[in-house]
Amino acid sequence: MCEQSNPSAVRYANRYLYLALTIGERMLCSGAEVSRVEDSIRRICKSYGAVQVDVFTITSSIVVTIYGQGFGTVTQTRRISTLENDLDRLEQLNSLSRRIVAEHLPLTQVQAELDGIAAGPRYTFFQQVMIYALISASFALFFGGSGWDALASACIGAALRFVDAAVRWMDLNSILSALVCAGVGGLLAYVSVRLGFGDSVDMISIGNVMLLIPGIKLTNSLRDLFNGDTISGLLRFLEALLVAVIIAFGFVIAGQIGG
Amino acid sequence: MEYAIQLVTAFTGSVGFSLLFNVRRGKLLLAGLGGVLAWGVYLLSGLWLEWDVPRFFLASLVLTLYAEIMARLRKTPATVFLVSASIPLIPGGSLYTTMRYAVESRWAEFSAQGTDTLLLAAAIAGGMMCMMAILHAVYKILVATEHIIRE
Repeated sequence: MCEQSNPSAVRYANRYLYLALTIGERMLCSGAEVSRVEDSIRRICKSYGAVQVDVFTITSSIVVTIYGQGFGTVTQTRRISTLENDLDRLEQLNSLSRRIVAEHLPLTQVQAELDGIAAGPRYTFFQQVMIYALISASFALFFGGSGWDALASACIGAALRFVDAAVRWMDLNSILSALVCAGVGGLLAYVSVRLGFGDSVDMISIGNVMLLIPGIKLTNSLRDLFNGDTISGLLRFLEALLVAVIIAFGFVIAGQIGG
Repeated sequence: MEYAIQLVTAFTGSVGFSLLFNVRRGKLLLAGLGGVLAWGVYLLSGLWLEWDVPRFFLASLVLTLYAEIMARLRKTPATVFLVSASIPLIPGGSLYTTMRYAVESRWAEFSAQGTDTLLLAAAIAGGMMCMMAILHAVYKILVATEHIIRE
C-alpha cells in the first residue's frame, strides 16, 4: 500500500470518507445500533473505491481508516455528543446509504440529500407537549390509576416537557437532568393530590416515570450487547439503568418530602 | 374490563412513544399494534403460567418476531417497531415501587421487589436475544439452502 499517492485521489478519498462519517454519525445520534453504523460506513466507502475499511465505533466516537490504490491510507475521527432519537431520520439515512451502495450516487448529490434529511419534518413543541401528556395518561391508566390520576398525570407530563426544555437549555448531563425532571414531577404529583386533583401520588408518578425512562437506550444497549459490541452495549446499558433508577428515586423522594 | 383498559392504553402508550421518536404515518399504527400484541401475549399466557418472568419472556419473544417481520415488510430498521412496542413491558411500575420501599427503609420488601424488577428486565432482554438468535439462524439456513438449490 506504500505506492505513490495521487493528490486528487487523496482529496476524493477524504471527501467521501467525510460524507460516510457524517451519515454514520447522524445514524448513531438518531438511535441506530453500533453494528448498523459500522456496516453502513464500510459499505459506502467500499462502493466509492476503498479496498479495505476499518471502522471502530463506541457510543461517543467513530474512527475510520480506509486503504486503497492511488491514495494509500486515509483516517478520520468523529466525536459524537448529542442524542436525538429520531427514528424517521434513521430510516431515511438507512435507505440513503443503501441507495449510495446500489446506485453509486455522486458526492454532491449525497450532500444535497443529507441536507434534505436534516431539514425533515419534526413534531412542533406544542405537539410534543401533547405527546408527553398522552404517554403519561396512558401509563397512569395502564398501571391501574383512576381517570383523575390519568388527567393529573397528563398535566404533569405536559409540564415536564417545559422542564425538559429548561434542562436542555441549561445543558445538564443525562443523569442530572433526569434527577431534575423526576424531582419536579414528584413534587407536582404530591401537590396535585393535596389539592384534591387525582387520588394516588403513586399512580400519577408511575405514568410520568414511564414517560422519562430511556426506552431506546435500553433496547439498543441490549441489541449492541447481542451483536458483540460489548463496550458500547455495557456503557449504554449502565447509563440507561442508572437514569431509570434515578428517575424512579427522584419521584419517590420528592413525593415523600412533600408528605 | 381491567384487561381492556390495559390493552387500549398499551396501544396509546406505544403510539405516544413512537410519536416522541418521530415515527410517521402508517408505521405509527403498526408500532401501536405491536404494543397491544406484546401485552396481549402477556395476558394470554396468564391462562397457564402464573409467574410473571416467563410471561414477559414469551411476550418479548413474540414482540421481537413481530418487529423483525414488520421491518422486513416496511424496509425499515427493526428499532422503529421494537422500541415503541416494547414500552408496555418495561417494568416502570415495579421499579417505582422498589424505590419507594428503599425510601421508606422497608429493606426486605425492597430486595424482593428489586429482584423482581431485575428479573423482569432480564426476561425482556432474554426474549429479544433468543428471537434474534433464532431469526439469525433461520436467515443463514435459508441463504445456505438457496445456494445449494442453485448449484
